[in-house]
Amino acid sequence: MDITETTIGGVKVAALKGRLDTATAPAAEAKLVGLLDGAAKVICDLSEVHYVSSAGLRVLLKAAKQAKAGGGAFAIAAPQAPVREVLEISGFDKILAMYATRDEAVRGIG
Amino acid sequence: MPLTMPEEILLLMLDDKSGRLQERAAPSGDYAIAGAVIAELALHGRIDTDPKRLYVVDPTPTGDALQDRALAQIVAATEISDSRFWIETLAADSDKYREVLFERLVEKGVLKRVEGKFLWVFPERRYPQISDKEEREVKARIMGVLFKDEIPDPRDSLLIGLCRAAGLFPLLLSGQELDRVQARIDQVADLEELNRSLADAIREIYAQIARFAPMV
Repeated sequence: MDITETTIGGVKVAALKGRLDTATAPAAEAKLVGLLDGAAKVICDLSEVHYVSSAGLRVLLKAAKQAKAGGGAFAIAAPQAPVREVLEISGFDKILAMYATRDEAVRGIG
Repeated sequence: MPLTMPEEILLLMLDDKSGRLQERAAPSGDYAIAGAVIAELALHGRIDTDPKRLYVVDPTPTGDALQDRALAQIVAATEISDSRFWIETLAADSDKYREVLFERLVEKGVLKRVEGKFLWVFPERRYPQISDKEEREVKARIMGVLFKDEIPDPRDSLLIGLCRAAGLFPLLLSGQELDRVQARIDQVADLEELNRSLADAIREIYAQIARFAPMV
């Protein structure tokens, strides 16, 4: 899985690319948790993620938990329709901040 | 030694004093045990799921005989099926799973084995509790998630779904408490695909019971 990092207006953005599943979950989790260090504000851009499994969803949940515990912020941005559907079926949209675009996410948590 | 999820759910399904399984947990308790075995395999990175499939990502044994037995069965399957299929398939072996889990809880010093007679005739084995520390810890973890508005750990979400499946919440909470946290139970449990499949499978059991009950 490719993970590209950028910073927009003090918000760190991790753009994931590929599948988020058991094989890629450890790397994604390490990256997101690392970015959240020091009460940071982090957006996980899913616009180029076409598949999220249960293991992948757990990574997003752990990142959100870490952000809450550490006084930071975490949001998901731009999920593709199939991924958004999985997030909604699981009720993740009720627990995590989720935005349709990266810009909206930056405005939302920035 | 920490308990595995199948051990935790079996312990919660047990009437502490009599050492018999709670009647309330039957028949969905078998599905909850199967679900717990699958949940451990998922958390150990051996299988993964999505709403349509349960698939093997790493066939390496975990070292836990029960989990490895289930993993071998899933690895050997010729077709990929969904979580619900595997919950129902593994639940068919729940007698064997239960037997092993009871023995483990005896070895860990949580339960003791008592051989006796039921109705003075039928041989019966019971497992009364000798240490309540483990069960208190499990209950405290569950209550901590339900009564605090925090993001749950995956392991706790899975366990809460297993308790919901086995119908245990009315035994763990007062009616008033249950009313207060029912929505939270569903919210936390439904985060996990496995819990949603488990709930679907159990709804089907009760639908079948309701369908055939008038005929009995």
